[in-house]
Amino acid sequence: MTDLSYDKSLHLKELIPQSEIDEIDCWIKKYPNDRKRPPIMPALKVVQENNGNYLTTEMMQAVAEYLDVPHVAVYEVATFYSMFNLDKMGRHVLSVCTNLSCSLRGADKVVEHLQNRLNIKLGETTKDGLFSIKEVECMAACGGAPMLEVDKIYHENLTEEKIDQILSEMAAKDLPTQEDK
Amino acid sequence: MKKFKQFVNSFLLVELLKGLMVTGRHMFSPKVTIQYPEEKTPQSPRFRGIHALRSYPNGEERCIACKLCEAVCPAAAITIDAGVRESDGSRRTTKYEIDLFKCIFCGFCEESCPVDSIVETRVFEYHFEEQGAQILTKEKLLEIGLIHEEQLAQDIEADAKYR
Amino acid sequence: MGKVNIEIDGKQLTADVGSMIIEVADEADIYIPRFCYHKKLSVAANCRMCMVDVSSLPKAVPACATPVADGMVIQTQSDRAIDAQKSVMEFLLINHPLDCPVCDQGGECELQDLSVGYGEDVSRYVEGKRVVKDKNLGPLISTDMTRCIHCTRCVRFGQEVVGIRELGATGRGEHIEIGTYIESTMDSEVSANIIDLCPVGALTAKPSRYKARAWELRESPSIAPHDCLGSNVNIHHRRGEIIRVVPRENESINEVWLSDRDRFSYQALTEGKRLLKPKIKKNGTWQETDWQTALNFAVAEMKRIIGVSKGEEFGTIVGNNSTLEESFLIQKLIRGTGCNNIDFRTRRRDFSKDQYSGVRAGFNFPLQDLDTMDATLLIAGDIRHEQPLAALRVRKSTGFGRAMAINPFDGEYNFRLYQEIQPEPHLLAQEFACVLAAAAQKQPDKINAEIKDWIEGITFTEQHAIIVDELINGEQSCILMGVYVQEHPQAEVVNWIAEQVARLTDSKWGYMTQGCNAAGNKMAGAVPNQSEFGGRATPGKNAKQMLTEGLKGYLIHNCEPDVESLWADQALANLQNAECVIALTSYEDGRVSDYSTVMLPIAGSYETSGTYVNVEGRWQSFSAAVPAPGESRPAWKVLRVLGNLLDTSGFDYESSVQIRDELKEKQENSRDKKESRKTPPELHAASEEETKRDSLGLYMVDPMVRRANALQQTSKASTHPISISRVTT
Repeated sequence: MTDLSYDKSLHLKELIPQSEIDEIDCWIKKYPNDRKRPPIMPALKVVQENNGNYLTTEMMQAVAEYLDVPHVAVYEVATFYSMFNLDKMGRHVLSVCTNLSCSLRGADKVVEHLQNRLNIKLGETTKDGLFSIKEVECMAACGGAPMLEVDKIYHENLTEEKIDQILSEMAAKDLPTQEDK
Repeated sequence: MKKFKQFVNSFLLVELLKGLMVTGRHMFSPKVTIQYPEEKTPQSPRFRGIHALRSYPNGEERCIACKLCEAVCPAAAITIDAGVRESDGSRRTTKYEIDLFKCIFCGFCEESCPVDSIVETRVFEYHFEEQGAQILTKEKLLEIGLIHEEQLAQDIEADAKYR
Repeated sequence: MGKVNIEIDGKQLTADVGSMIIEVADEADIYIPRFCYHKKLSVAANCRMCMVDVSSLPKAVPACATPVADGMVIQTQSDRAIDAQKSVMEFLLINHPLDCPVCDQGGECELQDLSVGYGEDVSRYVEGKRVVKDKNLGPLISTDMTRCIHCTRCVRFGQEVVGIRELGATGRGEHIEIGTYIESTMDSEVSANIIDLCPVGALTAKPSRYKARAWELRESPSIAPHDCLGSNVNIHHRRGEIIRVVPRENESINEVWLSDRDRFSYQALTEGKRLLKPKIKKNGTWQETDWQTALNFAVAEMKRIIGVSKGEEFGTIVGNNSTLEESFLIQKLIRGTGCNNIDFRTRRRDFSKDQYSGVRAGFNFPLQDLDTMDATLLIAGDIRHEQPLAALRVRKSTGFGRAMAINPFDGEYNFRLYQEIQPEPHLLAQEFACVLAAAAQKQPDKINAEIKDWIEGITFTEQHAIIVDELINGEQSCILMGVYVQEHPQAEVVNWIAEQVARLTDSKWGYMTQGCNAAGNKMAGAVPNQSEFGGRATPGKNAKQMLTEGLKGYLIHNCEPDVESLWADQALANLQNAECVIALTSYEDGRVSDYSTVMLPIAGSYETSGTYVNVEGRWQSFSAAVPAPGESRPAWKVLRVLGNLLDTSGFDYESSVQIRDELKEKQENSRDKKESRKTPPELHAASEEETKRDSLGLYMVDPMVRRANALQQTSKASTHPISISRVTT
């Protein structure tokens, strides 16, 4: 309504394929008609996966338009949840929890070790585009603190050795694809 | 017996000598009067003389126009107009006036200032030659502040540990 | 609703089931600290400041989100409550900057006040405070987002009250920020209410930024002069200068809100180019003079022109925002000289019912009832921009009821419309007549032969029938006509249809009017066909005739017909060609100095005492908040002297209160004339030319608003600056 930069001609249907639109429609149907906001999260997830692993402003606006909610309602969701990325990320996103339990169990050391190993800071991506480190809020694995999530897999009770192992496994998995290039 | 004592005392001029002793003592004791204006009394760092507005070493005025001095002034001697400074959008006074005829030199303004901007200097010798000159404008106050900055900084430093 | 007995701080209270502890406490005058709770907004319970101790519960609970239960014993000052509140305060102050001396909220800040009560002297935190980038929210609101405590009152206001969600809370935890995410300004017509809502100094008023401290300001109650609701305001002023205008709570008019127009229009008074001395134009140049000379000059000119033409060639145009007293005096004065040409309706085309009209105000029901309408039918007009606060009320009703519109133009609504019909502008009455036809068919036992004849041959569609059904089925329903209806050439036809439809469907009906005192001006007799309270008067020329025909002399009071009338270009030409134009004005810029011969400086709004009659017919009197600058004088005083100089009798008033009391008495003694005419008006097609939209725009409605700088910089302002005509001549 007041976003001056907003391009009114933007439509979600032009941004993502029909199959994805169908998926979003399926989510919309799961909620009562007058509840417009619940499908924001699944819709954003669909759009993000379609776009690699991040969202652009245009995409969020298109989702808002499609779901008939205020733009800012979509931004709120996208900025709140750590699984939505607003910048281009590496192929593997290392999400380190730094909430209370993990912090008490040495999350800062995990972060430090990762930073040293990959030679990047929190929120950055390695030059080869393989890894990004991200600080996230509690992921409900306090029992195994400290923890980190890579590609939807939780790694708990981290030690420096374990981190090294995870990183080398990841890098090894990617080797063939790198050779393909 | 009493009468006799009185008689002897008056005969020997004891009362007179007692009086002269006071005179004599003061004649040789250190003097407390001073020869103003050649000589001056020592001043406390808390001396409350004419006002000044201080500036930072880079020339920026300290005053942020919070108006606490205006509010606290029991004599309503301070008048402030404030606004947004065009150049950087900061909060500054557009008018800062102290009417010295109203001021009672209580020092509340100095006390209330959160940035040590309005202060009272050690200067107490000044006069006005025409009507209206008793109103210290912002320019005058800043000028006084510049002249006495060194002394003011020292005084505030000296007093800091008691605050 | 059931009742429960509870005890707060030893006080036995009875409360409605379902009400929250904080509501009950507020009613009983027991203070519970709060930041996020606001009685007009939903409960968020995110500041946690209102923690109270409930004896049956193991922990302190938030009073704003805990419903009362029978037998509850609540303590607001127990150790447990105070301890919880202190802990919350400590958290709030972790990131809040200590810049109270430069903060505009300092002195009236809820956080500052409460931190005195619940804060510690020294913080236990040594970590750096977070800094948030300020957002640009436009020319009305300045932001210092570092000070934000994320109470989300502003977000909820946009979402719930205005219906336009511009602000949101993005990010999470330590990184949460209130903003628009993408750089965009806030431009709703009621946006500045978030300044009042913000409990800290994160959102403050830009026009009065850094100008004054809360403790220096004096408060005078007044009435906002820009729309027909008559919002109650408090004028905050210092040393005779208005610093800001804030809403004064009045549940039946403006609740706790205020439109941006009412809030920032004061800038015209403080920054506008004011006329400070009477001026006479001699040989084309303006000369300052004293009141005596100027008044004598004006009187001589008036006597000359009225004398020669027997009153035919002199016309008086009264501004929409003139007070009741001013309008009364000016019509008395003009009629006393034998001239009958007086009108305030510079934006009306339909004068067909003038000889019948009574002194009815726009509404025949309280404004507050708009909140609870099950069905609201809006006829034309742009309610959001004409009466922003009425739109908020209609929006409130759409929570359960339905709003419908018959609007020839693309309306911007902040609520959902159930039905919308968009006829051609010149066929508005015809379209509305279909609704009457539908209503007549649904309620055959209520119609008389007259209506039966009138609707003969009018067909209606399914949509018209749905609208009528809604109006009939709604327990409370109303038909609301926008300002545009009164500008339409068939205004009286539309009014008549509305009345009939309302009667048939058992609804209420009302029309919105231009300016803040249309009802008052009419009551005061500033119309060509009747004197005060429908009293007899020799018919004179109406505003359209005066402005389009061209007269020799004009008296214009507090208006600029060359900008705000419907015939702006013709009005300008005729004013320029007139021999004499006497202008009672507060401002000397604009074209008033171009066409007038003598300018008399009058006090602006908030500088004079008087009475406005709002659209419900509510009389609201106010006294001057600040003195008028220079030699300008309240208009009623100027008119009183003019009256005496013109040798008309009955101008010996000593105060505006005296005039008002006289009018009040006259009102009680007058019998309101039956307004509806005997025969229904004729339904004929209006010309397309006459019905094209000529809306003044949100910030163009009167001389004062047109000169308010900040409002003119908003995106909602017309692109035309005040001094330049809308059509170049």
